[in-house]
Amino acid sequence: MLHHAVGISAHYPLLLATWLLPLAGALLLWSTGPRIQAKGAVLGTTVLGAAFVTALLSIPDALRAADGYVGAQQPLVTWLPGMSLGLLLDPLSLLWTLVITGVGFLIHVYSIGYLAGDRAIARFFAYLNFFVFAMLTLVLSDNFLGLLVGWGLVGLASYFLIGFWFEKPSAVAASRKAFVINVAGDVGIMLAIFILFAQLGTLSYGGVFAHVAQLSPSTLLAVCLFLFVGCAAKSAQVPLHTWLPDAMEGPTPVSALIHAATMVTAGVYLIARCHPLWDASPDARAFVGVVGAITALVGAILGLGQWDIKRILAYSTMSQIGYMIMGVGVGAYQAGVLHFFAHAFFKAQLFLGAGIIIHALGDEQDIRRMGGLARKMPFALLAMLTGTLAICGIFPFSGFFSKDAILYGVLEHGHPYLYFIGVLTAAITAYYMFRMLFVVFAGQARTPASVGEHAGHAHHAPAWLMQLPVALLIVPTIGIGWLAIGGEQSPWARFFEPIFGASLQPLARLGMSEATSSLVVTSVVLLGIATAFFVYATPQALRNAPERLQREGQRMPGMLTHAFYFDDALDGLFVQPTRALGRFCAATVERDVLDGGVHDITVGARWLGHFFRSFQTGFVRAYALVLALGVAAFAAYYVLVGVTR
Amino acid sequence: MAVGELSNYVTLSAVLFFLGVAGVILRRNPLVMLMGVELMLNASNLALVAFSRAWGSMVGHIFAFLVITVAAAEAAIGLAIIVVVFHRSARVDVDDVTILKG
Repeated sequence: MLHHAVGISAHYPLLLATWLLPLAGALLLWSTGPRIQAKGAVLGTTVLGAAFVTALLSIPDALRAADGYVGAQQPLVTWLPGMSLGLLLDPLSLLWTLVITGVGFLIHVYSIGYLAGDRAIARFFAYLNFFVFAMLTLVLSDNFLGLLVGWGLVGLASYFLIGFWFEKPSAVAASRKAFVINVAGDVGIMLAIFILFAQLGTLSYGGVFAHVAQLSPSTLLAVCLFLFVGCAAKSAQVPLHTWLPDAMEGPTPVSALIHAATMVTAGVYLIARCHPLWDASPDARAFVGVVGAITALVGAILGLGQWDIKRILAYSTMSQIGYMIMGVGVGAYQAGVLHFFAHAFFKAQLFLGAGIIIHALGDEQDIRRMGGLARKMPFALLAMLTGTLAICGIFPFSGFFSKDAILYGVLEHGHPYLYFIGVLTAAITAYYMFRMLFVVFAGQARTPASVGEHAGHAHHAPAWLMQLPVALLIVPTIGIGWLAIGGEQSPWARFFEPIFGASLQPLARLGMSEATSSLVVTSVVLLGIATAFFVYATPQALRNAPERLQREGQRMPGMLTHAFYFDDALDGLFVQPTRALGRFCAATVERDVLDGGVHDITVGARWLGHFFRSFQTGFVRAYALVLALGVAAFAAYYVLVGVTR
Repeated sequence: MAVGELSNYVTLSAVLFFLGVAGVILRRNPLVMLMGVELMLNASNLALVAFSRAWGSMVGHIFAFLVITVAAAEAAIGLAIIVVVFHRSARVDVDDVTILKG
C-alpha cells in the first residue's frame, strides 16, 4: 500500500539547512543592510547558492522509498493534537525546491547586476531571501497549516517586492492590489482547512489523504473549491488574475522569480500535492479544468493588446499557468508539473532577457519605442528567441513536450472542448509572442536613446552578471522536455511514479495518437508565427513600422485595452461596494451611532445631574420639610394600609 | 396600662412631635431648630416608653436610651456647626446658609 505524502520520519540536517538558510540571510540583511549595502547583494546570493547546494545534496533523501513511504519527513513541533508541523521532501516538493533555490540563485546573481547602484540593494536582497524562505515553507510543509503559513508569507514577500520602489505611486498601488487579492485566496484555503479539520481532525497531508473516502462528495467538492480559490488568487486564474499584470511594477528580477517561475505556480503545486482530493472529485476536476482553460485563453487574448514588454510576458505567464492548472485540474498531474518545470526556466529566461533590454534602454518598456535591437543586442535576441520558441512549443524546446503532454492529457481525461481551447490558445500564444519578438528586434530602431549609453544608472556592473544566468537558463529551456521522452518509461514518469503512480488514470485510449496531437499543435503554432511574420516582419511592414504600430494602438478594441473589463467588474462588484460600506460606516455608523451614542450618553448624564441638582436648594428648612413629608407619608401608609406581617 | 391611657400618651407624643416639626420647618434660628429636633426626639422617646409599658416589653426602654445617646451626639455636632456658622457671619439665619446649593 502506498502512503500518500508521508515521508520517512527522521532528522535531515540538510533539509533544515535548505529551509532556514534563506531566512538567516534575510534576517542578517535586514539587521545589517544599511551598513553593508552592495556587499549585501553578494551575501544574499551566497546564502541562496548554499541553499541550492544543500537542496541538491538532499536529493537522495527525497528519492528514498521504503514500505510505501516516500521521501524525507522532518518533524518539527506538535502545536495541538492533530496539528504536528514538519517538513516533507518528496519528489514533488523536491522539484519545486530545486527550482526555487536553483532559478532563485541565478536570479539573485542577475539582480546583483540589475540593481547595481540602487541605494536599497541590501533591502532588495533581504526581501528576495525572505521570499525564498517563504516559498520553501510553502512547498516543504508536510501539512495544510504550514502550507497556509507559507502561502501567506509569499504573498507578503510579493507585496514587499512589487512595492520595492515605493516612491512610485503605481508600484505601491500594484503591491496593495496584489496583497489584497492574495489574502482573499488565503481565506479560501483557510476555509478549506477548517472543513478538513472539522471532518477529519488532522491537517497532515498523510492523515487527510488517507481518509479522503470519509468525506461526502459535497464536502470534498467544497474543500477542493475553497482550496482552488487560493490557487486562483495565487496563480492568477480568472477572475482573480488582475493583480499579475500590475505586479510588473516590481523590478524585473522579481517578475522573473516570483511572478513567473515560482510563486504564481503555487496553485499548480497545491493541486498536484492534493491530487488524492482531486482524484476523488470529478466535479472539482471539471471546474478547475474549465477555469484553467479560460485563463489560458483570456491571458493569450489579452497578450495581443499589450505594448509593455513586461505586461506581454505577464499575460503569457497567466496563460501558461492556465495550461498548468488545466492539466493538473483534469488529472494530468505529471503533464501539468512538467509544464511548471519547463515554464520556470523559459519564462525566467524571457523576463531576464527583457530585463537586459529594459536595462540597456534606460528603463524603457514600451516595445513601440524599441525596434531593430537584433544587431545591437544579439545576446538578448538569443535569450528571447529561445524562450519564445519554448513557450510556443516548437520542437525540440521544452515547451513542446510539456504543452503537448498537457493537451493530450486533457484529451485523454475526456475533455475535448478544453483540448480545443488549448490548441487555439497555443496558436494565439505563438502570434503574440512573435509579435513582441518582431516588434522589438526587427527593422529599424525607433528610439532616440542609443543602446548601451543610457543615462540614469550611475553604477555599471559587469555585463556577464546579467548574461551568465540567462545563458545558464537557456540549457534547461531547450533540454528539460527531453526528460519526458518515452511515455511511461521516461525519466520524468519514473521520477513521479511514487507520487502520481496510484492516481487517476486516463479514461481510455484514444483514436488520436499523441504524435497526431503534436502535429496539430505544431501546425497551428506555425500558423500563428507565420501570421505574426506577415503582420509585423515583412519588408513593407517594417518600412513604416512606427505609423503602423501607432495605427494598431489606436484601432485596438476596448475589450483589449481594458483587459476584458475585469478590473472594472471587480471594482464594481467588490471595491466600490466595500468603499461605499466604508463611507457609510465613517459617515453614519461612526458619526451618528458611535460618536453620537457617546455624545448622547454625556448629554443624558448632564441632564440627569441638572435634574437632581435642582433638588439641592441649600435651604435647610426645605430639607426638613421634605423629611417631615416623608415621615408623614410613612405614617399615612401605615394608617391607611395597616401593618402587615 | 389601659388602652385609653396609652392613647393619651401617644396623642401627647404626636402633639410634641409636630410641635418639633413646626419648630424645625418654620423657625430660621438654628438654635431653635435644634430645640425642635430635640423635641421630636423626645416625643418619639415618650411614644416608645409608652408602648413598651403597655406591652410589657423592655425593648422600647432600651431603644429610648439609645435615642437619648444619639440625641446627645446630635446636639454636640449640631451646636458645633452652629458655632462655625456664627464665625462666618454675625447674622444667624439658616436661610442665608446656602453654600451647598446645587
